[in-house]
Amino acid sequence: MSKTINFTIDGQKVSVEKGESILTGARKNDIYIPTLCHLAKATPIASCRLCVVEVEGSEGFVLSCNTQAVEGIEVKTNSDELYKERQNIMKLYDVNHPLQCGVCDKSGECDLQNKTLEFDVDSQNFAIRDQKRQKKGWGVLSYDPHLCIMCERCTVVCNEVVGSMALYIKPGGYKSLIDNHYSSCIQCGECISVCPVGAMASSDFKYTTNVWELESVPSSCAHCSSACNLKYDVKTVGVGESATAIYRVTNEVAIESLCGAGRFAYDFENRATKDELAFVKAVEAFKGADTVVFNSMITNEEAYVLQAIKEKLGLKLVNKEAKKYQEFLMNFASVSGTKLYSGSLKTIEDSDFAVTLGCSISADNPMVRFALNIAHNKRSAYVTCMHPLEDESLRNVITQYVKYEVGSEEGLLAMLCDLVVNEEAREKYKSFFDSLDSGYICGESSVGEEEFGLLYQKLRRKTKPVIVAGADLYNHPRAKNIAKLLGMIAKYSEFDVVIVPPETNTLGVAMICDLDETAGEKTVGYNVEGDFTLSALGTGDLDMPALNQQEGTFTSIDKKVVPLNAAIEYEAYELNDIANALGVKAKNVIDYTASLPQDSGFKNIEFDALENRFTMFEGIRGYFLENVSVKGDDSVEEIDDLAEYNGSVIYRCNFPFNQFNSFTNKAHQTESEPFLEGSKQFAIASKISAGDTVRFTMDGKEYTRKFKISKELKGTLALNPVFDSTDNYDEYRYKQVKLEVVNG
Amino acid sequence: MSKVYFSTWRGESINNIGKPDDQWEESAYNLPEQYDSARNAKAFIGWDGVALFQGDIDVVRLAMEYAAQYQVYSEACGRCAPGRWGGRILYDLMDKIARGEGTVSDLEHLKEVSATMQITSKCEIGKTVPTPLLDLMVHFEDEFMDLITNQKPSKHYNLEDISYIAKITAPCTDACPTHVDIPGYIEGVRDLRFDDSLKATRQTMPLAHTCGRVCPHPCEDECRRTNLDEPISIMALKRLGADYETDHGFEFFHPAKAKKPTGKKVAVIGAGPAGLTTAYYLALEGVHCDVYEDLPVLGGEVAVGVPEYRMPIDKYNQDIAAVADLGVNFITNSRVNADMMRQFEKDYDAVMVSVGTRLSKKVRCNNERPEIEGYWGAIEMLDQVNLWDKYGIGERVDLTGKTIVCVGGGFTSMDVVRCSIRAGAKKVYMIYRRDEKTIIRNTTYEEYHEAVEEGVEFLFHSAVEEMVDEDDVLKTLKINKFELVPDPDGGRAQLVKIEGADYTIDADFLIPAVSQAADLDLLPEEWDLEMTSWGTIKTNGKDYMTSRKGIFASGDCEYGPMTIVNAVGQAKRGASVISRYVETGEITLTDDEIMEDHLRKIKVYDKKEKITGWLAGIPREHAEVLDVDERKTNNREVNLGFTQEQAISEAERCMRCYYIAMAAV
Repeated sequence: MSKTINFTIDGQKVSVEKGESILTGARKNDIYIPTLCHLAKATPIASCRLCVVEVEGSEGFVLSCNTQAVEGIEVKTNSDELYKERQNIMKLYDVNHPLQCGVCDKSGECDLQNKTLEFDVDSQNFAIRDQKRQKKGWGVLSYDPHLCIMCERCTVVCNEVVGSMALYIKPGGYKSLIDNHYSSCIQCGECISVCPVGAMASSDFKYTTNVWELESVPSSCAHCSSACNLKYDVKTVGVGESATAIYRVTNEVAIESLCGAGRFAYDFENRATKDELAFVKAVEAFKGADTVVFNSMITNEEAYVLQAIKEKLGLKLVNKEAKKYQEFLMNFASVSGTKLYSGSLKTIEDSDFAVTLGCSISADNPMVRFALNIAHNKRSAYVTCMHPLEDESLRNVITQYVKYEVGSEEGLLAMLCDLVVNEEAREKYKSFFDSLDSGYICGESSVGEEEFGLLYQKLRRKTKPVIVAGADLYNHPRAKNIAKLLGMIAKYSEFDVVIVPPETNTLGVAMICDLDETAGEKTVGYNVEGDFTLSALGTGDLDMPALNQQEGTFTSIDKKVVPLNAAIEYEAYELNDIANALGVKAKNVIDYTASLPQDSGFKNIEFDALENRFTMFEGIRGYFLENVSVKGDDSVEEIDDLAEYNGSVIYRCNFPFNQFNSFTNKAHQTESEPFLEGSKQFAIASKISAGDTVRFTMDGKEYTRKFKISKELKGTLALNPVFDSTDNYDEYRYKQVKLEVVNG
Repeated sequence: MSKVYFSTWRGESINNIGKPDDQWEESAYNLPEQYDSARNAKAFIGWDGVALFQGDIDVVRLAMEYAAQYQVYSEACGRCAPGRWGGRILYDLMDKIARGEGTVSDLEHLKEVSATMQITSKCEIGKTVPTPLLDLMVHFEDEFMDLITNQKPSKHYNLEDISYIAKITAPCTDACPTHVDIPGYIEGVRDLRFDDSLKATRQTMPLAHTCGRVCPHPCEDECRRTNLDEPISIMALKRLGADYETDHGFEFFHPAKAKKPTGKKVAVIGAGPAGLTTAYYLALEGVHCDVYEDLPVLGGEVAVGVPEYRMPIDKYNQDIAAVADLGVNFITNSRVNADMMRQFEKDYDAVMVSVGTRLSKKVRCNNERPEIEGYWGAIEMLDQVNLWDKYGIGERVDLTGKTIVCVGGGFTSMDVVRCSIRAGAKKVYMIYRRDEKTIIRNTTYEEYHEAVEEGVEFLFHSAVEEMVDEDDVLKTLKINKFELVPDPDGGRAQLVKIEGADYTIDADFLIPAVSQAADLDLLPEEWDLEMTSWGTIKTNGKDYMTSRKGIFASGDCEYGPMTIVNAVGQAKRGASVISRYVETGEITLTDDEIMEDHLRKIKVYDKKEKITGWLAGIPREHAEVLDVDERKTNNREVNLGFTQEQAISEAERCMRCYYIAMAAV
């Protein structure tokens, strides 16, 4: 289908793929065309008109951003006439724009300032009667319509990238404004990041500093497994002070996105001073312990250090969640033949058919949600969400909800296998397919055969299908067989597979550490409670640096090793110091970056040699893991009886969307109190009402929570957000519980 | 031809200033000098110039009001920098001059801002609003200078004696019989806001699924992009909004919230496109509708005439459900007769007759007797096919081993032959008097070629002379052959029979699909409704009231067999008129509707216009269609619709040719 179009820009030969714009051709060849509204990650907006160019033989100016290149055209990006028109546009933009740059947040990085200077507009010749407009505050964002130039970037990303369609244009010519369907807004702040002027501002950042005083530290987000690129913008906290603080987070807005946690939950650093006594105790604790318990809020290098300590001291390493994920990957690999899954966020974005199974999309990994939305928008992808809960906020993205009874995941996956795998698999796993009782599965899961029929029909003519597996599956009682069935789909169908890592660096830990099932008697905990606890939250026996205070790497959902840099200085002890004291020697923890295990696909690349740069179209960061071939037991089991869940069923799932773990919850903009949230139906079935305080036990822990009714939820399930990574789970996310009302 | 005092319309330059009345030069265009039956227009101003119908016009106020209209109407736009600020500057400066506070430099700024708007605005409104203003500033500079020099308000500045009536249009919108806001719904696609796209469509067209699939799209013949390369694929972009709504199971995106019930009620006879449209727009106005339908199913000819492979019934049912969603009451299996009509006239506040044309006309050959076995009217044939295929009613049409001969050349005959192929016919002929080019013009290129691919044999320049039967069973057909003989006087070529070229073909069925007539038995004789010479109900084509007060007619039974969109357009207007009639008892058109009719007369599209500011040579997208082997034995939808990339790419070709026209009355 794709065809190359050759043409010239300012005499230089360029080529683009058929359908790409003149502007894209220019950008690919480093030819400058001014723009204000353009965003490479969105469809052309075409509001600013600055990108006009001349085309030989074509009368008038042509808009380069949304005009496809045509074979043989000769484009001119600059002439006196073009300059004059662009200057005229800037004169219009400047009409009545408040001259308050001195107090505007954007001053110094404002596109309106830059373009005004570039086109030499130094006075206002026109005046229009000004109008009074209402400033708006929408949670994390503040909107000042006086500053708004109506470039429409914010509404476009809200729709095309985020998919919440909250922001919209309230038309009215000169009176046009941006408005917000606030109840749909997920507080991700994409709109703030793309605003070229000071109109969409962060409510929290506003009036705190001049942007030119900030220094950017490029790093990776520590909140979920997407490990998005971001920059911590830091400066000293006061005149004469040496301590620095993070003032905000920015990113490469034209090509990448962040969710609300990434953008707003940045100040989770642990400000600690050296405590020599505690350090000595810590070393002793390691020596006296038989187990290290930890979670996946950890860098690859630290995971490597723990593995080295394990080997040196003969300790057990326990990370329950990562262990389950690791086993899941191994079982997947035994059938698929590759150590890792094939897909990535990009695969999801580019897919034309996506199925998610066992994944609470918005809450587990916002970038998966964004990617599905992009696929829906750009490719009209058929998006099927298989989950016991319907997510109302994704109604416009999801084409088919397949709502199933809790516990029936294995059966459903078997049905999917039956729909999509090729003849070779049917032959090889003949007895499995022969024994498949679709009537039973459909009956027990409450998913009709016609729903699968529809799926199959919609799959016709699709060329880029993907299946996204989520955290409901890894701790499932039948996880082993589920992983193998997923492996079958990976090997014997057109589907790409993504197995979403449940925590920030679960994949890294799973690839690096040799994990043990159960802890012994004496434990050292790292960000998890142990007999002696090391904590980056400042709540343990010895302080550790948080992930915005460390150098190192994560292994992201994209199977990519990405670098972190320290944004905030850390004076106290870190894991590497303990390791050195225990005889595992290295000057810095990043000395281990090049030593990460190559049999898991890591490469021998020094930390300082990791790439971290951007082109006009993509970020080039770190490297991808090699997907190593493996051999294993590739048999699959017949489907087990599907478990039944009755009464009050509670789902361990984070909510609201910007909440992930103890660190997210520590940051001042994203602190929130967890509620038990359920539908009206749940309340009736469980005989509780909104506002009740209820007590229940889940995963061996007793919770006392206020109950809230949510209109977004349907069915007899309630969400129990934990926000707490100091617990580490290896149990199925759904639990049948007894609720006890303990009001007053 | 209009009598004008001054005109720059479409590049003409007529200046009768100072000339005596009888020596005035006339405009070459059909300008609205008579605004409506009661009022003359004083001036007409628009995207392509300005015309004054009399002297003594306050041109400065006129210019200011036109600039003001851009402010009012920019709710449709305001989406680019030059348009948004430039338009406001035009208005503010014009107003400043008109109220007597202008300066000479304001005139210069007006020209400068105008130039920027004309070159870089996003849509044609921004580009064209300055055009007539510049004309006035040049030709009536003295009047502008007089106000500036003497710092006085223009003569009508403080008077409200003249109405300035404006209307937004676009060439495609103007060409569409129901005046759909086409640039609006295409913008929705481009913005990936399919909800907005659908709402734009449903303002004047409730059948978005249907007219996104089977509309003959007269709009595409008047698409300005044609002047540059190829027309936008306007029709195909319409279904995206409707598909989005259906695929995601959203509640219906209506263009507005239905008004509170007014207590008025209307009977609609026939649930085809015209009936559905009448009911939809009346329901939005809070008027209750009972829709009476003869057939057991809703949808009229689109349901029982257009085959499943072109118009899947589940999609059409979505369009119908959108109408029902507003509380419209449907009564099926209810054939309305004259007695019922007499009763309806008493029981309802108004009646809309939209029964279509459901009688197949004869071929007019010898021995054409309906009792011959094998003689089968196209309407009856398609009824049987569709009722079975779509609803499982009746019995399946099985033509295995049969030879079918259809006489026609329009959409209905195409449906007949392609359905015959799907019913397993051994051989299918289409007999048509004229040539291939004409049949394509009467239908579409795709329709004709798809039929040929599926195996239909077209016999051009042919006509049936006689049906030959044995004991009332059709056996063969005698066919005459014709040729086109050019008129030596340069007139239209004549079809002349070629002597000795007659031939005979075996046939099991002869299906006449030449045309249809209206079955109007339901009209009480004593009403003595005025009819057209071709046997349909007569109205004035503007308000759709028949010669009897309170009885309206729209769609094919008014116009004769025509398109879905034509029926929708008539019914939309009819519904609007009825909504006022039931309240006031008066037949009125809104200013918007009056302007709509004037603009259609002037014709917004100018095929000679040279397009600037757009790159030529970007080809029109074509949706994938099922291969012939994949489609000819079943009823799967042939046209697979655009992929998202194609849709966006096609939407980006749209030049947003919105225009503002304004009359001073």
